[in-house]
Amino acid sequence: MTTPTARRGWQALAAIAAMAIITITVVAFARPGRTPGPAFPPLHPAAAPAGWRHLTLPNRTAVLSYPPSLRPLAGDKVAVSAARRSPGGAFQLYLNATPRQGSERLAGWAAFRLNLLRSNDAASAHEVAAAAGVKFRGGTGSCLIDDYVTRIGAHHYQEIACLVQGRTSASVIVAATPAAMWAQARPLLLRAVASYLIR
Amino acid sequence: MSFTLARSAAGLALVAALAAGCGTAVTAHSAAPKAHSAAPAHAVTTPAAPSPAAVAHHHRHRHHFRPVRPMVITPPAPPATTPAQMANPIPQGNGGDQDADNNGGPSDGDGNI
Repeated sequence: MTTPTARRGWQALAAIAAMAIITITVVAFARPGRTPGPAFPPLHPAAAPAGWRHLTLPNRTAVLSYPPSLRPLAGDKVAVSAARRSPGGAFQLYLNATPRQGSERLAGWAAFRLNLLRSNDAASAHEVAAAAGVKFRGGTGSCLIDDYVTRIGAHHYQEIACLVQGRTSASVIVAATPAAMWAQARPLLLRAVASYLIR
Repeated sequence: MSFTLARSAAGLALVAALAAGCGTAVTAHSAAPKAHSAAPAHAVTTPAAPSPAAVAHHHRHRHHFRPVRPMVITPPAPPATTPAQMANPIPQGNGGDQDADNNGGPSDGDGNI
């Protein structure tokens, strides 16, 4: 025979347990799931179109191709760059190839690149899409599409950045444009990345 | 006995209603940062890490329940603390290798060496 007090205690316990179960269930169902981001676009490695120009890395391990509307750009001695700039000097298209210099690895490339951006040049950087096992001319790469805002000038860029592993070397290719021009520039940037040749 | 069961059922119904309310609140709350992150322009205008003075100022705003708002004019943050917010081994402002990315241009592919 249970006393009213004991019965009330059991009721309170049951209510708490029910509340816990219901809360967990509701929260689990109501929580918005991580919707998968846009997939990394297919990259079809192919030689650059006729008329495109080429820049070979100083260590001769890779060749960056760029359309004739871009001009070579001075930068790191070990790297090559080409860009198209507005009459006011703003970057419209930017291509860069740099030999692997740090602890970049195919695995975890997206996180590495985002961390590098955030710790160096960018006030913020967000992944848009990423892919591994991307085929390149002469190698395989891990690629990332991201957008970031520079600390200086608060310029908003979107880029494709790939770490490409060849037979004897690894290097990074970057193809960037202002985020506002991304939709328009995307095919050309993808073409430039797809034509990247590594040895 | 049936009265006890009715009480239990009523209690469970109340609990369920409360839990549903909690769930909705959680959903709304978790959706908020998404909308915030969808506007990168906001991040542009916000410094990467506010100065201590700015933090203190912001702190005061968040606690509206304080009866008296201190009339203290916070001095500007000492400049020494501002650049030290982020470890950036590559000098900005046309420093270092004078790459585009040291001047607000697109970031190159260097490995930060």
